Order: sequence, then C-alpha cells, then structure tokens
Amino acid sequence: MEFYQIFTSRNDKGKGTYNALDSKTEIEYGFTNRFSGSFSVIGHQLETKGLLIDGYLPQEKNKSFSFSGMEGEIKYAFLTPALDDIGVSTTFGLSYDTVDPHSGQKKDTLSADVGVQIQKYFLDGQLVWLNNASMESTYAKRPAINGINDESVWPTTPEMEIELTANTGISYRFTSNWSVGAEAVYQTEFETEVGQERWSLFAGPSIHYGNQKFWATLTYLPQVVGGGERYAGQEKGLHLIEKTKYETKLKLGYNF
Amino acid sequence: MMKPLIPIFTLPLTVIAYPVYAVEYFTTEQAQIALFGDKAKLTPSYVEMNDDQRDAIEDISDVRQRWKTQKAWKAYEDGQFKGWFIIDKVIGKHEFITYATAISPEGKVLGIEVMDYRETYGDQIRHDDWRAHFVGADKHSRLKLNKDIPNISGATLSCRNVTNGVKRLLALYDVMLKNQTQ
Repeated sequence: MEFYQIFTSRNDKGKGTYNALDSKTEIEYGFTNRFSGSFSVIGHQLETKGLLIDGYLPQEKNKSFSFSGMEGEIKYAFLTPALDDIGVSTTFGLSYDTVDPHSGQKKDTLSADVGVQIQKYFLDGQLVWLNNASMESTYAKRPAINGINDESVWPTTPEMEIELTANTGISYRFTSNWSVGAEAVYQTEFETEVGQERWSLFAGPSIHYGNQKFWATLTYLPQVVGGGERYAGQEKGLHLIEKTKYETKLKLGYNF
Repeated sequence: MMKPLIPIFTLPLTVIAYPVYAVEYFTTEQAQIALFGDKAKLTPSYVEMNDDQRDAIEDISDVRQRWKTQKAWKAYEDGQFKGWFIIDKVIGKHEFITYATAISPEGKVLGIEVMDYRETYGDQIRHDDWRAHFVGADKHSRLKLNKDIPNISGATLSCRNVTNGVKRLLALYDVMLKNQTQ
C-alpha cells in the first residue's frame, strides 16, 4: 500500500493576479503483482484578481483551500520494465469534482479517464524513460452565480469535453537516492461547439529523492507553447485561459 | 494574497522527517566467513580492468561492467586455494545493493550473500532458498530471471540486477581470474 500527496501550483495568466493550488491525497493498494487500485480526495485553493474572462473567470475569487471531490482508478500492468525489458500498463479512472479548478466557482464535473503507460529502463534501471497517453471525457454542469445571470459570462447549460494528454519524461539517478530528470506534457481539449478549444505544451526539469519508505518529486513546468482560445488582449503563443504560464508539482509518496 | 496552506503542508514535512536507518547485514569479514568458513584465510587481490577487458566482460555477460576496479579476495584453507570472494554492487530501486559472491577455482558459484539491502520490498533475496538458485552456476549457465532464478514480487529490479550481477562476475572470472589458480 502506498500513500501519495500531490500539490500542483498554477500561476500567472499574463494579466492581473492568478494563483491556484490543487491537491490530491491518494491511497493506492496492490491487489496482485499486476493489478492495483487507488482512491483519492481532491481539493483546490485559488486567488484571481484583475482578470475576467467570459465563460471562464466570471468574477474575482479568493477561495480558501477545501476538499471538493474524489477519484478512483484501477491499473493493470501487462508487462513490467524490469522483467520484460519494457513496461506496458493501462489505467482507468473515474472522478467527481464540485469546484471548477480554473475559476474556483461551483461546477459539478464527472470525468472518465483511460490511459496507457510505457516505461523503459536503461543502464540497469539507473535511467528510466516514462510515457503516458490518456483520454479524459468530461460531463460538466455549472449552477448560476448570484448576480451573474448572463449565459455568455457563465453558461449553465451542460457541456461535454474530451481532453487528450501525452506525457514523456526521463529520470537519471546521479547518486544514491537522488535523480534528476525532465518532463514534457502536451494537452489538448475538444468541445462540441468550438472544436479544438485549447492546446499547450509544458516542459521542464524535475528532481527526485527516494528511500526505503519515502519519496518526493519536484517538477517545474513552464508553458513552452500553446494555442486555441485567447482572452481579449492576451499575448499570442500560449494558452492562458484554462492554463497558466507556470506549473510546479510536488509529489510525495510513502510506502507502508 | 492566497491564504497559506499550513495544515496540509505539515503532513509531508512530518513524512520527510521519517528517519531512515542503514541496514548492513554482513561486514566484509562476516560475509567471507559465511561463504568460506572461519578457517579460510583471505588475501586481497583487487581486479583492475582496462576498457577492452570491461568490454569483453560485457560481451560475454551482456551486462555492463560498471566498475574499473572489482574488490576481490583469494581464499585459502590449509594452504590450498579455495576460490574467489568478490564484493559487488548493483542498482536497486533507490540505492545500490551490496552482495558478495564466492566463485570456485573452476569458475562455479559457491554461494552469494546479500550484505546491504535497503529497498522497500524484496527482503526475500536474503533468504537461503532464493540465493541457493545461484549455487553451481558457471559462465555457461543461462541465469534467466523468472525461469532459472525466481522473481520476487515487488522486487523485480533487485532480482534482475543481482542475477545480472552474478552473470557479470562469472564473465569477470572468465576474462580476468580463471588463469590465477593459486
């Protein structure tokens, strides 16, 4: 059994103030060597000021941290990298959240996520290459906000979205317990009315510490390039409506 | 300003403070006695390899010879050469795994002992029944994990790298040691 705590800090939309912190607290249990399941509680904290975007950021918000949803996932490993030279696994997850992580407003979201992971060891496992491709389908419904009845500012009709994500990363252990690496995340989202709503590529370095019981990974991911919908007056070359200029992830793990 | 998240951040800080203790199961002397007995006398005979010799070891074993110097001892009992005692390190999930291998003058594994193991799972590689699978192996032995050597769930990398390490030491014997019979 393993415990994870993941914090993701998202900052800077290019105008005004935007700081968000996502939290995921997870317990994973291995049923067999190849099959595992996990359950997590998710939460958000957000501060936004000086930037309003119709349909996305309808009003300024300074929201304290609160747990807002939950997620369950199962994982099956067809091949393991140490035994079969290449690791191949698949994941299926369901999540439910009551808060829109972009605006901090209420939003009921039900998502199903299917992913495939490929892992390869080099140099006896000193260098590890990881890849993940996933598709998330989301159904969301937003309640009206008191004082904002305009549907163009905050639409309350249900919406369906499909999000595709591809990650790749390498990790090199340069001394006992410590690894350095790099990660890149490409993500795009499609919606019925607008087609491809957004796309973005984040890439940056990571550092990892692991021992017998505990591990931690810190990853800094600035947005390298992005596109899709933009708010009025936004600079080109990045997607800054749903994404930010910078993401910082801290993952902590503890083995029982 | 965004409100601080002090209660949440105290949890990882508590976890980070978890103490990790070193686990050394055998000193060099204890491993020598475990593999050759307390009557044997061991003399250091470290093996220095050039790049061609390391390449030759990799060609035979299909495992990279990471070290340029391999710590080795010659074991004698009543003046008779009993074999080689070699200390090796292989990659574990988080740290190196240190183990000792005894190889007979004829190039067969007499036994292995795990000296230092600090991984989360897989402590069973220290058990007699797992280590016994290596006894009698020589450079012709296949030593395929999960076929000739059983895999231990949750410790596959440790099992694979110790198995590959023994294959590499048998190749090292073939390239560097087999003509040193005294």
